[in-house]
Amino acid sequence: MLVELKNGETYNGHLVTCDSWMNINLREVICTSKDGDRFWRLPECYIRGSMIKYLRIPDEIFDMVKEDIVVNKARGRTDNQKNRGGSRGARQGFGGRGGGGNNRGTGQQQRGGPKSFRGK
Amino acid sequence: MSSGLESYVNHTVSIITSDGRNFVGTLKGFDQTINIILDDSHERVYSPNQGVEQIILGLHLIRGDNVAIIGEVDETMDSSIDLSAIRAEPIGSVVF
Amino acid sequence: MVPTYCKFVIFNKIVRLTSKMLFYSFFKTLVGHEIIVELKNDICVTGRLHSVDQFLNIKLIEVCVSDPEKYPYMNYISESFIRGSVVRYVQLPVNSVDSQLLQDAARKEITIR
Repeated sequence: MLVELKNGETYNGHLVTCDSWMNINLREVICTSKDGDRFWRLPECYIRGSMIKYLRIPDEIFDMVKEDIVVNKARGRTDNQKNRGGSRGARQGFGGRGGGGNNRGTGQQQRGGPKSFRGK
Repeated sequence: MSSGLESYVNHTVSIITSDGRNFVGTLKGFDQTINIILDDSHERVYSPNQGVEQIILGLHLIRGDNVAIIGEVDETMDSSIDLSAIRAEPIGSVVF
Repeated sequence: MVPTYCKFVIFNKIVRLTSKMLFYSFFKTLVGHEIIVELKNDICVTGRLHSVDQFLNIKLIEVCVSDPEKYPYMNYISESFIRGSVVRYVQLPVNSVDSQLLQDAARKEITIR
C-alpha cells in the first residue's frame, strides 16, 4: 500500500501492523521525497498515524473487509451481549464502527497485502 | 451522532482536502474522526490554463484531519458539466 | 410558561456543561436557516443548515459557493458536509440570533464550571 504523509512524502511498502491510532508499520519500503525526485529504500519503518494524509490501498482489500464486516456483524451481536455491563475498554480509538472490525480488517490486510502485490 | 454522513454512504461524493485537492469517489465508510474510505476514486486536478485532469486512484482511505468538505455529487448536475472546459485556480490549503 | 431563556439553559444542563456543548445547542437552534460558512482555505459556502454535531461539523443543503467562478469545484454538489475543524467563521442571519441570550448562557456556563 501507499502512504502519503502530510508533509508530502510518500511511503510504499507492505503493511505489517497498525493500531487504532492508525500508527503503522511497513516493510520493504520505498520512500519518495515531496518533490518526487529522491528515493530511499528502507527495510522497515514506523509511521505515526497523525502524520498520515491518506492511504492508497489495493482494491482487493475492500472485498475482503466487506466479507469481514458480514462475519463481524454476526459475531458482533454475541460479543456485545457479553460486553454489556463490562468496561468500555474494548471501545477505543476508532471504536464506533466496531473496534474489533478494525483490527481484524488489518489482519486481513497483512495476509492480503503481500499476495496482491506479488500479483501485480 | 455524526451529523449525517450516513446518508452519503454508497453515494458518489466529492472531497476537498485541507491541502486543496479534490477527490471524487464512492463513500464506503467513515468514522467519528471523519476518516473516509473512498472506492473507485479519482482525483480532479484543476488548473488555470487547461481543463480538469482526472487521475484514477482506486481505493483510498483519507485521514480525517485532512478532510475539509464532503459534498454529495448530484449525478445529473455532474454529468452536465464539461470538465475539460473548466479552468480554475487551485484551492489554497487550510491554514490551521 | 417557561421563558425561552430558561429552556435554553435547562437544555444545556441536560446535554452537558461544556462550552462546546453550548455552541452545539446554539447551532441546533439554527437548523433550517440560511448561513454562510467561511473555511480556513478562504472558500465561502452558502447553504441551509441541515444538521450539526458535537464537533460542530456542519451539514448544509442547497449549497452554493459564493465565488463559483474561482471555485468551480462545488458546482455539481447540492448537499455537503463540512468538518468543524476547517471552519473559520459562520455568518448567521441577525434576526435568528438572540445575542443577549447567548451571552447570558455563556456567562452562566462559566460560573457553573
